[in-house]
Amino acid sequence: MSASVTRCPGCGSSNIVDDDLYCQAQRVCVDCGSVVSEGVLTDDWTGDTEISYSRTTAVARKPCLNLIKGLQRVKAICRILRVNSEIENHSQTYYTQAYQHEAFIRVSLQKKEVLAGCCVLVSCRLLNWPITMGTISCLLDADPVVVGAVYQEMIKILNIKAPVFIINDVMEAHSQEYKISSLHVPEELAENSRDLTKRAVALVELAADTWIVTGRHPTPIMMASIYLSWQSLKPNKHRLKLTLDKFCQMAKVNKLKPAMKRIAEMKEVLCKLGREIPWVREAVTPDNVMQQVEDILNYRFALLRRALRTHEETLQAESEASGEDSLPEEAASSQVSEHGEQHSNAPTAEECELNAGSAQRPRDGNDDPHTEPEGNTGGGESQAPAPNWGKRVLFAPPCVVHPKRRSVERPECKDVTGDEEISDSEIDSYIRTPREAREFALTQKMLSESEKT
Amino acid sequence: MDEFALERYFDDSIAKDDFLLEDELGLEGPDASAPPLKVKPAEDLDLSFLPDELSTQDPSHANINDSQTSALNDSHDSGVGLDFNSHASTLATQENPQQGASVSRLGTSAFYPMTPMTPMTPMTPMTPATEKSGIIPQLQKSLIRFWNIVSTVNLCCPLDLKFIALQARNAEYNPKRFAAVIMRIREPRTTALIFSSGKMVCTGAKSEEHSRLAARKYARVVQKLGFPARFTDFKIQNMVASCDVCFPIRLEGLVLTHQQFSSYEPELFPGLIYRMVKPRIVLLIFVSGKVVLTGAKERAEIYDAFENIYPILKGFRKQ
Repeated sequence: MSASVTRCPGCGSSNIVDDDLYCQAQRVCVDCGSVVSEGVLTDDWTGDTEISYSRTTAVARKPCLNLIKGLQRVKAICRILRVNSEIENHSQTYYTQAYQHEAFIRVSLQKKEVLAGCCVLVSCRLLNWPITMGTISCLLDADPVVVGAVYQEMIKILNIKAPVFIINDVMEAHSQEYKISSLHVPEELAENSRDLTKRAVALVELAADTWIVTGRHPTPIMMASIYLSWQSLKPNKHRLKLTLDKFCQMAKVNKLKPAMKRIAEMKEVLCKLGREIPWVREAVTPDNVMQQVEDILNYRFALLRRALRTHEETLQAESEASGEDSLPEEAASSQVSEHGEQHSNAPTAEECELNAGSAQRPRDGNDDPHTEPEGNTGGGESQAPAPNWGKRVLFAPPCVVHPKRRSVERPECKDVTGDEEISDSEIDSYIRTPREAREFALTQKMLSESEKT
Repeated sequence: MDEFALERYFDDSIAKDDFLLEDELGLEGPDASAPPLKVKPAEDLDLSFLPDELSTQDPSHANINDSQTSALNDSHDSGVGLDFNSHASTLATQENPQQGASVSRLGTSAFYPMTPMTPMTPMTPMTPATEKSGIIPQLQKSLIRFWNIVSTVNLCCPLDLKFIALQARNAEYNPKRFAAVIMRIREPRTTALIFSSGKMVCTGAKSEEHSRLAARKYARVVQKLGFPARFTDFKIQNMVASCDVCFPIRLEGLVLTHQQFSSYEPELFPGLIYRMVKPRIVLLIFVSGKVVLTGAKERAEIYDAFENIYPILKGFRKQ
């Protein structure tokens, strides 16, 4: 409707003109300047939309430059890792979400780059493309601890339930890094990558079954298993003499220090199983076990069962031989027993548990039969340093078998009510005498003055 | 360390104590999964250590002998290693009376080769919610060790930190680094952070009583230095404990089944971080069977958390 007001209510003049302010229709009185009407609905559509002041005057909202750069970095990382496009898309989505969250919007650019890597990592995990955090840290050239922290914060914020890292999956990718095919090294030292990986995967599975993998950093274990698999594929003198150092130099990978310990642990496990091979006559030691590795891996389940059975029989024989007088190691239900009442129960308990152990084993099937004897021997600590349960079972996590010595013995906790009397002399011992305080103040002043000069 | 954050920390906690909100929001999570009711009996879990009413799905322990021995088997591996002997006789009398009735299923407290004839009077009252009462309190006390108790106290008077640092032997004060005096006493061996507002944090004690005694000693020292210090609002803020279940634990398996509570990254930390919702405790579970429990404001929370986690961990022994 066109305005029918022809007089300005302010001054009464009839000199009213149409003045559009930023497409807002206004009628203004020329004489006094007051706006007579504005935003009046017209029935003729002018074709202009009403746009507010802030929107017309604001600078066009561009996406944050760093966000764009970050997304490009995500894409670059994905291309380097040669992941599929789905992972790439997911990573970019996660990155955008995480970047704009308050926890990450104001962090340093370096951290934002780490965030990019973490997004790729989590997408890979979700879509079953196994990589280690170490790989990402390498790519980003960042401290793995920082990567870990950012990763954990990110999955908390984005509420992602990422599947856990499984070493067997990563094994294949890891073994590709080792340049020991016949193209890179002399023929006698070369190995087909497929054979190498297959055997290394079997070794890793064996290590996982015998408690070497749980809780440990995966990369040294993978390195150790590749080394052992390479040695065992052609266990001649030349290969056996080559140390891990030289092997890593040859394969052009960086040696990891813990890998040495893992090699020792895995060799020990292999020896324990090697001893059970019926057709091996001589003693199996870490030196000559590599020849047996192929057989051990092929028959590892059967050998595991045999080893456990043998171990149990040994334990049983020991307990029967040691008789009734203090059985500190045997009965798991009694400790270094000072109480006579336990002794008579102990042998029966021991027998029962061994029976139970053997009764339970068929139930378990093929999965992890070796875990049972560990249950049989549950003795813990007591006052006297009794042998720990790790030493009594055949396979136990190495941290149990070789525990770190606690240097400080826990002092006996006196019973305290919390409301006892507090002696004055004790409190006084914590307060300086006036002279001491003066001297201290003086010394401090002298020190601070000397620092200033 | 952000000094304001620290002050806010115990201001908040002294003011309001409602962490229960989360707990009530339907988190039967660990509770529900802990008792093997939720676990399919097809998995070869040894359920005989549970009280009768729960182990209805007892798969293969029809044989009395078997179940008794398997219960013994469990008992040997339950972390009940530590100071077992002294409790042997007391335990014998504290067993679940139901055990006398049905030998085929020894109750949760079957840690001994009990003969069915032993008269048993429970020291702890049997409540309907016994699916968690696997471990008798006395036993818990010997199993679980407390390593650190953190508490806060309000001395209710502003303090001159420079003066305290000057007059007290056992104090250190570096205002550029941290805005509080760090004071230490020998017995109980603890450390205190004393702020100029009069609030104090006491750490390092091995029990609640020790923490209280230590805090009182610090307050006394401050009093002796001439401030009108009082001892108000003493509150335990955090308790850290550890125990050993004495069997190895498959952390990879645990993180798969309890994914919503667990976080296991072997590349970052060797232990599994389990955030239990009820009670609100964080547990660090290691492959060796050692468990660290932290985040409790009361002793009972630690015991409850352990009782909740123990059946879960046992489930991961044989798998």
